[in-house]
Parts: sequence; structure tokens; C-alpha cells
Amino acid sequence: MIDVVAVYKKVIGGTLLAAQLPARFYRSVFRGGYPASVRQQLAAVVNNLVLHVHPTRLYSRSIEPQTTFGLGLICFYLFIIEWITGIFLMFYYEPSTGAAYGRILDLNYTITFGRVMRNLHRWAAEAMVVGVALHMCRVFYTGAYKPPREFNWVLGVSLMVLTLALSFTGYLLPWDQLSFWAVTVGTNIVSYAPVLGPKLRYVLLGGDTVGSDALLRFYTLHVIAVPAVTALLVNYHIWRVVKDGGLAHPSENRGADGEPVGQRSESVITTFPQVVYLELLVFLVLMVGLLVASLLFNAPLEEEANPLTPSNPSKAPWYFLGLQELVGYSAFWGGVGVPTILMIFLLVLPYVDRRQVGVGVWFARERMIMIGAWTLILIGIVVTTALGIYFRGPNWSFYWPWENWPGPH
Amino acid sequence: MERWLAITGLVLTLVLGWTLWDASEQEWERYQEAYYRQAIRLAQKGAQREWASSLRTEIRQLQLNGHTTVERCVTCHLGYDNPAFQNFAAPLRTHSALLKSHPEGRFGCVVCHGGEGRAVTTLEAHGQGQVTAKPLLRGKYMQAACYNCHGANTLPPQATAGVVRGRQLVNSYFCLACHKINGEGGEEGPDLSRIGSHRSWTWIYAHTVRPQGVVSGSTMPVFPLSRDEIQDITIYLSTLLDNHDRLRYLPLLAKRVVDEMPAHGWVATQRREAPAQGDAGSILFSYEGKKLFHGAGCYLCHTVDMTGGEVGPSLTFIGRKRNGENLARLLKDPEEILPGGKMPQLYLNDLQVAALVDYLSGLR
Repeated sequence: MIDVVAVYKKVIGGTLLAAQLPARFYRSVFRGGYPASVRQQLAAVVNNLVLHVHPTRLYSRSIEPQTTFGLGLICFYLFIIEWITGIFLMFYYEPSTGAAYGRILDLNYTITFGRVMRNLHRWAAEAMVVGVALHMCRVFYTGAYKPPREFNWVLGVSLMVLTLALSFTGYLLPWDQLSFWAVTVGTNIVSYAPVLGPKLRYVLLGGDTVGSDALLRFYTLHVIAVPAVTALLVNYHIWRVVKDGGLAHPSENRGADGEPVGQRSESVITTFPQVVYLELLVFLVLMVGLLVASLLFNAPLEEEANPLTPSNPSKAPWYFLGLQELVGYSAFWGGVGVPTILMIFLLVLPYVDRRQVGVGVWFARERMIMIGAWTLILIGIVVTTALGIYFRGPNWSFYWPWENWPGPH
Repeated sequence: MERWLAITGLVLTLVLGWTLWDASEQEWERYQEAYYRQAIRLAQKGAQREWASSLRTEIRQLQLNGHTTVERCVTCHLGYDNPAFQNFAAPLRTHSALLKSHPEGRFGCVVCHGGEGRAVTTLEAHGQGQVTAKPLLRGKYMQAACYNCHGANTLPPQATAGVVRGRQLVNSYFCLACHKINGEGGEEGPDLSRIGSHRSWTWIYAHTVRPQGVVSGSTMPVFPLSRDEIQDITIYLSTLLDNHDRLRYLPLLAKRVVDEMPAHGWVATQRREAPAQGDAGSILFSYEGKKLFHGAGCYLCHTVDMTGGEVGPSLTFIGRKRNGENLARLLKDPEEILPGGKMPQLYLNDLQVAALVDYLSGLR
């Protein structure tokens, strides 16, 4: 006869054990329960691989939206999203001129989640270019590049260049008319540099024209070389934020007597849970926005690349259209002069402009000259880029956006 | 904060659900299910019924040109080779008898019908989606595709009547007073020599009906054309392709050179009498050098006396540059003489090579 009570006990015991397993697993990972006391909350940050890049405590001002608008964090998230969607796309993509375009069509038409992943990859990439630009503007307008953060600014400038490089190398991969001619134009801009320009273009393309070697090189650069360097620098950049004293803060400003001005008696919060939760919230909102955009709007795709039929006008990717617009006036200034001057300006800036005023303050009155100069450059970039995007038609002639371009040729 | 996390987490879950629904909703599955239902119903013998019941719902495709071209039209048009489906409506209906002379395994669907072969929704496969594929050719407009491979002379007259009449209409309405076609005509309007590659037939049709409806501010007058006339003009203009599009037909033409030529004795028979009967749609390549030069598509890439394509070098004076033996080796195996060049292997037989060498040597 079966011992009913014994069986009953075993079942209950097993159920209880099973119910405890998640909690045991949680404890094995996080070493303890939910951190309730301040002491535990500080430990939660220090002892966590992902979180320990944060300071354990920071000014409550740091998480107010208008301090940074979370732009650096958003750029970081976008970079992660690019990695994940990019790996998905790599499963299907083939970097050969015969197959590439077909693979992109397959992603669009038949592969499960192919279209939404490609759209996510594209829109996140475009958002990253915009996000990096806005992040730079935030850092400039709040004077956050001044000592001791000057080297982190240099790292940031390198990351901007790498972001553009990532975006540009990825632009060729669909191998459609848009990408083919955009890269043809983009690499032509490179070749205007004196002495080295044509060589650089040759090395980049593996030949004189955009062909199968160029596709293979851009692919290799896009999926391993540039992302690897960028990932390293992103880590370095974020690590340096804490090592350089956290976010720029008004208390670092010094008056005429060399004494700090501004108050220090601000409230301090623990990183866990407020900051961690806020960062999670930013991710969720970003992800919702990107997914909805990817479901509603398809990434651009034209007919397969056809070296015999140039598109007219042939436009570079939009973030280089400012340069292409300048090339329209002077090949030297658009291709070499202006980009070189801009790069030198960006790299030298924090080592020249060292005065400790306006740090952590938006549009500080004491920095009006620098702010004016930056704004002028910004307007110049936006205007030339907009001209290139919206006002240029066949043969780079001027057209209003509502005007029709001349018909087929 | 926790509340906002919960709300956005819920929203993200909903959007992920939307993504999942977007990926699972497949139009072609409905057509396949309808086909299998009918196939089982129509099956009379036990074996047929067993076959029909064993069919799975899956994407089907034709792979052409050594697997580089993929066409998935047969994912929905499942009954194309099943004679039992003759009286069904599209997409399940059986293909017309033309499929016998144009086997799908060799030609695929897109070369005749247009559209986007890789897509599996009606909207996108029929060329009305986001990617700028050519819209499907329908009815009378199919002539343009026939003409692109076969030309006017080798098809029964009614098969290319639209193209021929369209060309006459373009002449009789003096279109060339303003437009240029293949180097002839006025400068007023755009050159139409490659209009068929740059614009779809739906665009050309709409533009011919009323130019201002398509291109605002167009100075082209509205002509008093009948519906039939507009159709024929559209068909003719659709056959004016650029070199890239014309080259798409080259592999097909080249294969026919090999397949359909008798190995010996052809020159003699052809000179004496009309070509032996073949099916009405076949191209009969001449064994006379000059005709072969055009028939095999050489002119698509090479210029002789100002006419022809610009992909390869001009051959107007090729006889001065290369001797007969060199030309023969080049035509037999381009890779041997021009390693890494663009010239394709055309698989010509000895008689054809000899005829071409004869013709080319005379160009000096």
C-alpha cells in the first residue's frame, strides 16, 4: 500500500525547493538580497561588473534632464544596439558584388525580422551621428572640455570621427545605386587632399573605382576594424568621466581671486537605485522610439548598383553633404582645407581655452566669444548640409525643394 | 520612477508584440493553403492525393544563372506547371503554353514579366513596393519583353505589332522634332534613347496621356491620341533600354547560339533556302559574320561605325590591330588573350568563330 502521507510530504518538499531556486540563483549572482541600506547600495555599485563604472554617489543635479539630456548615454546605447542588430545582419550578408544586393532584398522580403533589424540598424546609425553631434554641443556649451577633462574631449573627438567612419563604411554595403554613388562621391572628396589624397583613396577602395575590392574592404572595416577600436575608446571615454572628476560642475569655477565660486551644499544621491533606474528608463524609451520608427519607416534602398548609369545628382551620405557643397565651390577647401581646420580646432581647443569659467553652466556669459564662434561653425555646417540635402539637383544645380528636377536624360 | 519603468516596460512589450505580429503575418501562406486545398480536392488517384497531402507550406524559389538569381514568384503562383489549374483565377492559374518554349528553369519569370523576383508580397513582387523595381508587365505590354530578346523579325507579326505600330506613331506624330532617340531628333525635350530603363511603363503611359499630370510645368503638349495609340507608344518606348538592361538578355542570347546551331553544314543550307522550321519564337542566329555580330549581342558592348554600346572598345578598325588567328583565339576564350577583362565567354562554335573572324578582319 502506498504511504500517502510520505508521498504528500515529498511533493510539498519538492515544490518548496523549486520555489526557492530563483531566489538562490539571484543570491548567487548578486551576493545578497535587494540593497536597502545606503551602505548596501554603495556596495551594490562597487561589486557589480556593469555598474562599477559609475561613481557610488553623485550630485542630484547630475540626473536632472537639462544637465546632460542623457546624450552620452543615448550614444552608448545606440552603439550597443548597432552591435546586436549588426551581428544579426552579418548572419545573412555576403560582401560580394554579385550577392550583396540580393541579400539585402532577402532581408527586406523574406527573412524573419530581417526588415525590422535592418531598419533598426540604419535608424540607430543615423541617430548615433546626430546624437554624437548633440553630445559634443552639450559638452561645448557647458564648458565641460576644460581641464581636467581635456584629454577626454580628445577621446570624444576621436569617437566622433570613428562614428562617421562606421556610418560611411556601412553606407556602401547594400550595394544599391544610392550607396554606390554616395561612396564614389565620398571617396572623391578624400582624393582632393594634396599628395596623399589619391593614394588614400586607392588604399581605401583597393583600386581606382568602387568595385568588389572596395566592398570587401568597407565590409571588413565596418564589421570588425572600426567597431573594435570604437568599443575600446568608448570604454576608455566612459571610464575617464569618473577619473576626471565626474560631470562638469559649477563649483569648479574660480573667481578673479582664484577661489572657487558657487555653492557646494548640494544634495547627494546614491547611484543605486535612482541613477540605475533612470538609465534603464532612458533605454526603454529609446528602444520603444527606435522600434516604432523601424516598423513604420523603411531604410532607404534603391536599384542595384550600376556603374554604367551614374545617378544625377550623386550625393554623398547626408553628414558629408556640407563638405560636398563646399567642394562645389572649391575642391581644395571642401576636401582638405575646411575639414583639416575643423579637426585642428577641435583637438587644440581644450589645451588653449583653459580658463576655469562657465564650467557646468549652459551658455555662461563669461564665455560668449567661444560660444559665438562655436555657434557660427554649427550654423555653417547645418546650412551647407541642408543646402546639399534639400537644394541640390542634377549637375549640383540649385533647386527649391518644391521644384521638379528635369526629367529623364 | 518604478511606475515609469513599469509603464515604458509595458509599452516596449506591446511594441515587441507588434514586431512579432508584423513578422508572422505572411500573405503567401494564404495562397499556398488555398492551392493545397484545391490540389487535394482535384486529386483523383490515391498517389496524387498522397502527393498533394505531402506538400508543405514553404517559400519556393527558382535559382538561375548558377544560383545567383533567385525568383520566388512560384511561392504564390503554385499552379503554374499544373495543368489541372487552367480554369482557376490568379495566382493559382496554370501558365500559358509559352512556358514550353521558355522553360522556367532556364529563364525564370522576371525576364519576361518584370517585377521583383525576390519579394513574396503582391505589392512588392509586382513592383509597386518601396524598392524601385519595374512594375509587372501586363497584357499587351508583354510585347516589350518579347521584343527585347527576339527583335521584330523573328516573331510572328502579331507578337510585336504594338512595338512596330508604336515606332510608326512616334514618327508620324513627329516626336523626334523635340526628342532624340539613338542620336536622331531635336534637343527640346529629354533624350528618349534609354527611357525604358529609366521609367516604368506605367509612368510612360501616364506621361503620354497628360505630361503635366506627371511632371508639373512640363512644356510637352497633350496630343489627341486614342487609347490604343498611347498603349502602342508606351510599348515601343519601353523597349528603349540602356546597356545595363540590354546586357541582362545577353546570357540568354548567348546560350541560344550554342543550343540551337547544328554542328555542321548550316552555312550551305541557310544560303539555299529559308531556315529550317523551329518553334515560332526561336531566334535563328545567322552564320554570316555581320548578322551574327548583331544577333549574338556583340554590338551591345562594342561600336562599329558609330553604332553600338560603349562597354567594350570600338571595333571599327579592329582588323588593323589584331590578325585573324589572334581574333579567333580571343573569341574562343577571351580570358586567354585578355585575362581579367570584361569580355564574356560566349561559347561560340568553330563555324561561328570563323564567320566572326572573317567579318572582323574586314574592319580596317
